[in-house]
Amino acid sequence: MFKVAERASSPPPNGATPREGHVEADGFRIRYREAGEGIPLVHLHGAGGLRWSPAHDLLARHFRVIAFEMPGFGDSPENTQTRTMAEYAATMIRAADALRLDKFNLWGTSFGGKTALWLAAQAPERVLALVLESPAAIRPENFAIPAGTAEEMARRLYGHPERLKSIPVPDPAIRAKTQPLVNRLLAPPRDAELEARMATMETLTLVLFGTLDRVIPSEMGRHYKALMPNCHLVLVYDAGHVIRIERPEAFCDVVEDFLERHEAFLISRTDTLIHP
Amino acid sequence: MKVSFFETGRYAVPADIPREWPVPSGAYDPAVGAKAYQGMVERARFVQKLGFDWISLSEHHYSPRILTPSPPLSAAHLASHVDGIKIALLGPIVPVSNPIRVAEELAMLDTMLPGRFVFGLLRGTTNEYLSYDLNPKEARERTDEGMELILKAWSEPQPFGWQGRYFQYRTVSIWPRPQEQPHRPTYALGVSAEAADFAARHRLGLGVSYGNVELMAKSTGYYRQRCSESGWEPGPDDIIWRANMILGESDEAADAALERRSAQGQAPFPIGARLRSALIEQDKRNVGGEKRPANVGGILPISFCGGPDRVIKQIKEAREKIGVGVLDLSLADPGGGDTDAMMSKIELFGKTVLPRIREI
Repeated sequence: MFKVAERASSPPPNGATPREGHVEADGFRIRYREAGEGIPLVHLHGAGGLRWSPAHDLLARHFRVIAFEMPGFGDSPENTQTRTMAEYAATMIRAADALRLDKFNLWGTSFGGKTALWLAAQAPERVLALVLESPAAIRPENFAIPAGTAEEMARRLYGHPERLKSIPVPDPAIRAKTQPLVNRLLAPPRDAELEARMATMETLTLVLFGTLDRVIPSEMGRHYKALMPNCHLVLVYDAGHVIRIERPEAFCDVVEDFLERHEAFLISRTDTLIHP
Repeated sequence: MKVSFFETGRYAVPADIPREWPVPSGAYDPAVGAKAYQGMVERARFVQKLGFDWISLSEHHYSPRILTPSPPLSAAHLASHVDGIKIALLGPIVPVSNPIRVAEELAMLDTMLPGRFVFGLLRGTTNEYLSYDLNPKEARERTDEGMELILKAWSEPQPFGWQGRYFQYRTVSIWPRPQEQPHRPTYALGVSAEAADFAARHRLGLGVSYGNVELMAKSTGYYRQRCSESGWEPGPDDIIWRANMILGESDEAADAALERRSAQGQAPFPIGARLRSALIEQDKRNVGGEKRPANVGGILPISFCGGPDRVIKQIKEAREKIGVGVLDLSLADPGGGDTDAMMSKIELFGKTVLPRIREI
């Protein structure tokens, strides 16, 4: 049995207090949280909404991390306006414009991974490098969005929910509000139009899957690697779907290295000298 | 029932060599070593002729008593000289190995002689952690992660990075791959709950070793339960039991041999008392989830003893209670005893027991 926290809007971990603000784009008022300095790293969250995590804090030591709450999530009104993921991504480009983010690194999680891919497809010149955490752009035929009780959800989302100090429970009202949007924008499991764009996408991309992902099997990672010309695939051992929560150090280590050194991240810098 | 002969690369150990592990390598005699490796081939041919199904190999270091520090090299040596008999690598010791190297070497073997090899992945005995300077406290988790990485390296078609706890690779893409996907018959080796959990989760066999029927049954019972929870049922070929057997022409002869052994029996890898205690303190073990101290530097138990009829009964009991379908046997203490006497026991087994246990 594991402990489930009362609400998703738990305070930021480690005492970190990210700055908060709003931008206007396509008629939406979009909340964002931000911490750190340097090259911007824009995060587009998964279907569970925006939740600042220890991984954000770790990445904020090296980057200016800006985590948007996409239209329809959190306390924003239900989004019945956006019809396609391509449209949604275009809105997020305008959100980045509103923050005067010219070029930025882009990190998309699960549902937000598909948004991030569409964003990079539409504005490749803006995206320095792309990180896709358990992306939902390519899914198996039998894919089902995690649902059920808090415990059932936790068992699908996390490889080892029992190891986590607490797990947020999504607010049922917010979930009911976002579900139609998520279903509308995610379908179908294979998006031929997006995959055609991915095949010609030059953006340097890192795809991460947890070896215990019970939402989207890690085997989906090989499709990105096969499709995209500049794609690297990393399997994060013993993590489920929410890699950044279960193995934040492992996640941030490789993401930082990739964003900092691009292709050279393949070259080890680990010092093995024991005694000089 | 299938039967495997546990081959240890028997080095004729002079009486004046110190027993304590690690044994000084200055005492090594190259001519005796070369003869030991020739003997491996001769025994492999012999047991094959008698109808043994497999010959098995292990990984041990720093001692003349089991002279096979590299299972893949031992396997390649045997395979290049002996046709037919399956060669079981039980196994590489995963926590002290580079898992990618293990995946590559086993895939190479499978490519050289498709279907000749059986693979087992092992946590290893405690003293072996000293060989390659491994913290015993990390052994369990390194084993689990290493095994997972080996399976992934065998089956993942695209280059991938591995962000582990104990292993990190930015890019993995092995050539050659195994001849069968996702892999050849492979076993997780060990009596622990963790080995059984891993095997059940990945649809692998389980190899248990040394102990009485009740202890082994506890381990394999746990394994079968976990397999059932994972939606599959292991068959007899999925369970290997490595065990010592004292076989005599009669029960009385075997019992007398057991008595002599009890009085004089020597551990294959004896370790100084204080080091032994320190190792046991750090290396936590269990059988099917029940705590049990590690066997460090100890004598290995005899699991079968008797004349042919009694041993056959014991094997039937093992089949019923443990579910074992592959017996991996030592007919003399691993690393000890008179090789000629052992050969006569192998022959006795091959002629009087083996033909009568096929249907078990």
